[in-house]
Amino acid sequence: MSIRSPFILRRIITISLLLLFVLIVVMLAGVSMGSTKIGLKMLLQSLLGEKMADTMLDTIVWQIRFPRVLLAGLVGATLSLGGLVFQAILRNPLAEPYILGISGGSAIGAIIGILSGLSRFPGVSLTAFAGSLATLFLLLIMSSGKSLLKKNTLLLSGVMVNAFCSAIIMFLVSMTYDARLHNIIFWLMGDLSMCDINQVGILALMLLPCFIILFCYSHSMNIILMGNEMAQTMGINIRRVTAVLLIVTSFMVSATVCYCGLLGFVGLVIPHLLRLVFGSDHRILVPASILGGGSYMIICDLLARVLPQQGEVPVGVVTAMVGAPLFIYLLKRSKQ
Amino acid sequence: MKKAVEIENLSFSYSDNDILKNTCLSVYEREFFIIIGPNGSGKTTLLKVIAGILKSRKGRLKIFGRSFKKYTRKSLAKTIALVPQMGMVDFPFTVSELVLMGRFPHLNMLGFEQKKDMEIASKAMALTDIKHLEHRTMDQLSGGERQRVFIARAICQEPRIILLDEPTASLDIAHQVKLMDLMEKLKEEIGFTVIMVSHDVNLAAMYATRLLLLNSGMIEGVGKPRDILNCEMLEKIYKCKLLVDKNPFGDLPRITPLPLKFI
Amino acid sequence: MKKRCLILVVPVLICFFITQAQSNERCVTDQAGRIVSLPDKPERIVSLAPNITEIIFALARGHLLKGVTTFSDFPVEAKKIYKVGSYVKLDLERIVSLNPDLCIAVKDGNPKDVVDRLESLGIPVYAVDPKSLDGLMQTIFEVGELLNAGDRAETLIHNMRLRIQRIKFLVAKAESTPRVFWQIGISPIISAGSNTFINELITLAGGKNIACGTSRYPRFSREQVLSLAPDVFIITSMEKGVVFDELKADWGLWPEMPAVRNNRIFLVDSNLFDRPSPRILDGLELLVELIHPELFKEKH
Repeated sequence: MSIRSPFILRRIITISLLLLFVLIVVMLAGVSMGSTKIGLKMLLQSLLGEKMADTMLDTIVWQIRFPRVLLAGLVGATLSLGGLVFQAILRNPLAEPYILGISGGSAIGAIIGILSGLSRFPGVSLTAFAGSLATLFLLLIMSSGKSLLKKNTLLLSGVMVNAFCSAIIMFLVSMTYDARLHNIIFWLMGDLSMCDINQVGILALMLLPCFIILFCYSHSMNIILMGNEMAQTMGINIRRVTAVLLIVTSFMVSATVCYCGLLGFVGLVIPHLLRLVFGSDHRILVPASILGGGSYMIICDLLARVLPQQGEVPVGVVTAMVGAPLFIYLLKRSKQ
Repeated sequence: MKKAVEIENLSFSYSDNDILKNTCLSVYEREFFIIIGPNGSGKTTLLKVIAGILKSRKGRLKIFGRSFKKYTRKSLAKTIALVPQMGMVDFPFTVSELVLMGRFPHLNMLGFEQKKDMEIASKAMALTDIKHLEHRTMDQLSGGERQRVFIARAICQEPRIILLDEPTASLDIAHQVKLMDLMEKLKEEIGFTVIMVSHDVNLAAMYATRLLLLNSGMIEGVGKPRDILNCEMLEKIYKCKLLVDKNPFGDLPRITPLPLKFI
Repeated sequence: MKKRCLILVVPVLICFFITQAQSNERCVTDQAGRIVSLPDKPERIVSLAPNITEIIFALARGHLLKGVTTFSDFPVEAKKIYKVGSYVKLDLERIVSLNPDLCIAVKDGNPKDVVDRLESLGIPVYAVDPKSLDGLMQTIFEVGELLNAGDRAETLIHNMRLRIQRIKFLVAKAESTPRVFWQIGISPIISAGSNTFINELITLAGGKNIACGTSRYPRFSREQVLSLAPDVFIITSMEKGVVFDELKADWGLWPEMPAVRNNRIFLVDSNLFDRPSPRILDGLELLVELIHPELFKEKH
């Protein structure tokens, strides 16, 4: 009697198609809802090529909402996938994409950029990126050689680097008292509203190769979870695989942070949420994180824009307030 | 008989102190080769060197006549499989997912299994009698069942040598014997070489084709159980009073450590 | 020869004037050095800061405003206008949905990226940057030009200058220059230093801003404030939820400070001082009363 579970490829395709459908629905909702009323019918007509009667609505949909929804999708995908990969490399369910000092380093870089009076793009993005690369470099030097593979060394070094960076950030914030303080706070809280379609396009170009590379390594991630020694005996070059995963994921997360600041919670919880639903196989979890994480962020961004009467709630608040209860509920259900 | 593993003048040290000193040994094909010795004698280190996890700078290691260095990582994985002492699983994989992981060295780059892989895994689970557990997660299994899962995974690698690191350490006496019987059965049916590290001298005596006695990184003796297991040798190595008599079954030595009140 | 040139020049001139008359756009340079192309008669304006709102209403052009920021609360009519977010966090979609033909921004406050995006979407944005009373009057003049309210702007500026002159004459009669400490932040204690409006106002009102130094918003420890011995202590209401009596009682624990001894600790509405608008002169006049009450006793 052969094993009942269907072949892995079939499962991947089924789950991916399901989540892709969810993603498309959510994107349509995201683009059609906002502070200005635009009906779904008008939106679909616009999609099919007809120019909207009111060019202003056209601008709102395609120049303001669509880039934002696209950015939310990319950010959600990257952070979820980043959390998934770090949880695998570090073999720790509490790992999240910022754990290796990326949040601390990029925040310091961004604050220095804002205080110098640079504009968001490209100025502050570049300083943020430089900051995260610097901390990563620092981290790799601190835990170089054999200890790189000891799982706790990397993790603890990352936590220490982040703590140190937090102190510097608090100091910088306390020294600022003009309009730049607002810019800094908004950057630290995470902000999806600042990009136009060209900038989002550049981000997509940077992220798509990363997604593909990480998918190719998804079965290796399954094996790494068995422990470094076991993975070696099963044929994995543990140094090379860890290095590739680390570099690609760090690059991906750093690039994303430059565009949207520090959006928390998504990278920690979405992988666990997906594991509860789809199991632990990373060949399924990698595409699921991309599509599911992206959908989740788009929904949260939509709620952030639409729920309050005036202005908008920071997206990071919505991701936590929606995600935590959802996660607890699913956890309780899975235990039964 | 062909030599599965051949070690010449191998030394290994973590930092300053040598764990293994000038070790020389040969393991023949289809042997049930058991390494015994007191704690800290370097048994697990020796096993890890053979598995390729630890690399020694001095000495030579040959697998099936070929130098260890000439094997690629994947080809080594198809030749040698390791069953760990305590499998660490932090994430909830199911039994069938874990067993299928053993097919990794045989899969394509993306790691998608074919029908053939599924059949091999199915057969491995049948051989180790865990088929009924295939949809459970590891935390729902007992120690003995978990061991069998790792053995099934090792079988999926289709190795010619299986290494086991103190597999009976946390099992009760019934499961200890069951596991050793299983390894013997698999060895006969599939035809691989078994190299095991054990702390249980009696169990080793009952199953081993040949035994290796290791003490402080040096080989005290290699050979058949009834040749190696004599009182003076064991007392010198284990540094305690022992009673060595004959097991009524199979004409094999039986070792009993003596408490103080009986000396 | 001359006649031929004239024959060529005249048609060219005529064409030039015709095109100018037909075009309803003009190009101006704003206070941030940007060249802005905007319509001659803007009819749908969005103000991106509360002080701009006040200036526009003061120029009697409030009816052209279609969108203002959240804290645009003066005059009362401004409260009813559609809100487009706060001046540090502008809502792009709301602004665009109003279909404005001109936005007026403040350089120190509005995020540059939003301004750039509005420009890229074809909405002209004129940035102002009033840093002093003179700068404020220049701003009022420029906004007047933008909104075809040049006459009103002139009148307003003239009145403002008169008021300032009157205050200068009055203050010149004062015999002393009291030391003034202006408290903006509660914890930590932050004051307004050099290159701020407040510094200029305190000086005009005949006081000495003891926080004047190298930075714009210096921080002080309690000891430093005490050692500076201010004669007049002014606290602004910018921090929400501040209970003035508690603060006053807090400082009251240090009777060595001249301001405490003579009971000269005051609370003022920050909107009169932090917004570069015509109302800032109301603030100035209030300051003179607080710093030099003796000048007013003379009057009565």
